[in-house]
Amino acid sequence: MRAWLPAVLLAALLCGLSVGMPVLEPLFQWVQPDKQRVIYERESFVFLLQNHLLLVVVSAAVGTIVAVAGGIFATRPFGRDFLPLVSQVASIGQTFPPVAVLALVVPVLGFGEAPILLALILYGLLPILRNTLAGLEGINPSVREAALGMGMSPVQVLIRVELPLAGRVILAGIRTSVTINIATAAIGSTIGARTLGDPVIAGLVNGNTAYVLQGAVLIGLLALMTDSLFEAIERTWDSAWFKATQHLRTEKPR
Amino acid sequence: MSITEPLSQTLPNRVIPVLGILALALVWLLDLGTIQPNRIVPGAGHGLLAAVGWTGAGLVAGVLAAAILVSILPLRQRYGLLLGLIGLSLAMMPLLLDVFATRHLPEDSPYARSSIGAGFWCLLFLLSLMLIEILGRLRASRWLQLLLLVMMGGSWVVLLQSDGLESLSLVREFNARSDKFQQALWTHLALALGAVTISAGLAFALALKMIRSPTWQRPLLGAVSFLQTIPSLAVFGLLIAPLSALSSAFPMLQSLGIRGIGWAPALLALIAYSLLPMVRNTFVAITDVPENLADAARGMGMNERQVFFQLKLPLALPVIIEGVRITTIQAIGLTAVAALIGAGGFGSFIFQGLGQAAMDLVLLGALPTIALALLADALLTMLAASLRPTPATA
Repeated sequence: MRAWLPAVLLAALLCGLSVGMPVLEPLFQWVQPDKQRVIYERESFVFLLQNHLLLVVVSAAVGTIVAVAGGIFATRPFGRDFLPLVSQVASIGQTFPPVAVLALVVPVLGFGEAPILLALILYGLLPILRNTLAGLEGINPSVREAALGMGMSPVQVLIRVELPLAGRVILAGIRTSVTINIATAAIGSTIGARTLGDPVIAGLVNGNTAYVLQGAVLIGLLALMTDSLFEAIERTWDSAWFKATQHLRTEKPR
Repeated sequence: MSITEPLSQTLPNRVIPVLGILALALVWLLDLGTIQPNRIVPGAGHGLLAAVGWTGAGLVAGVLAAAILVSILPLRQRYGLLLGLIGLSLAMMPLLLDVFATRHLPEDSPYARSSIGAGFWCLLFLLSLMLIEILGRLRASRWLQLLLLVMMGGSWVVLLQSDGLESLSLVREFNARSDKFQQALWTHLALALGAVTISAGLAFALALKMIRSPTWQRPLLGAVSFLQTIPSLAVFGLLIAPLSALSSAFPMLQSLGIRGIGWAPALLALIAYSLLPMVRNTFVAITDVPENLADAARGMGMNERQVFFQLKLPLALPVIIEGVRITTIQAIGLTAVAALIGAGGFGSFIFQGLGQAAMDLVLLGALPTIALALLADALLTMLAASLRPTPATA
């Protein structure tokens, strides 16, 4: 349970700050004495937080499904021809800077939430795809053969042997993808997404450091909260894995 | 068919037909280019046939059909032929735009401009995928790949400078601000490479500290990975207040150009971001050198300094350079974001273009950023590969 504590505390702090930002008005007045308004009011912070989270969660979910499906396809006998290309694309694609990808989407699809969502999905699925391939390819072939020899069908081997073995690596890919997408979604404010980047951009345009600080603190907290959430998930996964495979270690004395 | 030939060279390829059919469909369905009466008004799109006529359309379809045929017919020199075909078409792509512009641009309106449509981008993308596939099957060396890249880049530069493409809005935007473009290039490179250089030195010192005193390992790695977790926009934003407070407290800093916005917070943030991959790779690379090699070196009479500089460092170098590669790519991308806090570079074109809804200005910022990142990736990968110890030298 202790693994989850940092994530819960950070989540509470994040929610508390996004609801109660106006309470801190004297503090921001001190930071920015020459402005009348020191609390960003064009949208509520709660709405921006929700929207930001929604973008990241939807893109991570769609990205994970597409990337894992693609990874499975490229490692099956019927899709193996595509494996070199898919893995090359996954690694070359990650060389593209996220800002540039975001910027390229606008001329093709226009401003707004949908183009940003598409950019986040496309860019976010690359690390997941790469890790799915690494996870599935990293399995010792003899394990697969042993499972087939036990009478499992290829689908059973995939679901009961390969995916559980590759799962931890895929999870690490999802973590990377979500971390990148939280940052990219924040920059998405410049192309019309309403996220926690809004106060930062508005503050930069108007020279209002208080706005910038409010947005930056909330974005930072969101990223830290998500990161510690993944940390907790990974720890829980590892200890569950350790318990599930314990009999293998105790039964076989060296 | 000789038996020494690798089997993969003679089997039919299934990837290129899939890409080819997709390209054929998209190039006929989407607009190849648009003609705009001036900079801001959205233009009218032209499909492949309307844009380049029967000859051009036939040529494009013919090349794609030939690529599909070559990849499934039983041929020996399959991948050599494909490389020639696809490489040549990629190099000739700007000609399509040239023909399009000469056919459709109204001669009497000096503000009219042509711009690249989705069909052209899709064709370019799918042809590049085919090229990647072919190079992979040929197991082409890095030098051949670089040579191809240089040839293609060269042909693009030459063709884009021809008269016909002067109306291309991307070229117009460039011509309108070629001084600014050069300045942006230098600023971008200076910020990104400056940050990488400074953080390389810093990371080397930190990694050495971690090796000498293991109690520092956890806190140092924790600190640098904490820095990497915070999104870039937040880091840039959070640096504004303290730096502007500093600069108003010390006028000397102000005269150096250190203010809340501008290059100073950008450089600081870039260095902070660069630390994690640098420190991690340097530390792992040096500690991964097998201890028995170090023992052997000591047995040969080397002192600790010699062991470090003549054995450990050379062996660790490829992994350290891998860290430099990750850092450089990341820094090039983040420098574009730093334009939001007034640091200049290609990002300033991107955000200016987004603000004015001038899409070609956005492209003028985004495409060079991507090109820089790809170039840095290619060069540093080659450097790391050439430094990797081969069995003969290890």
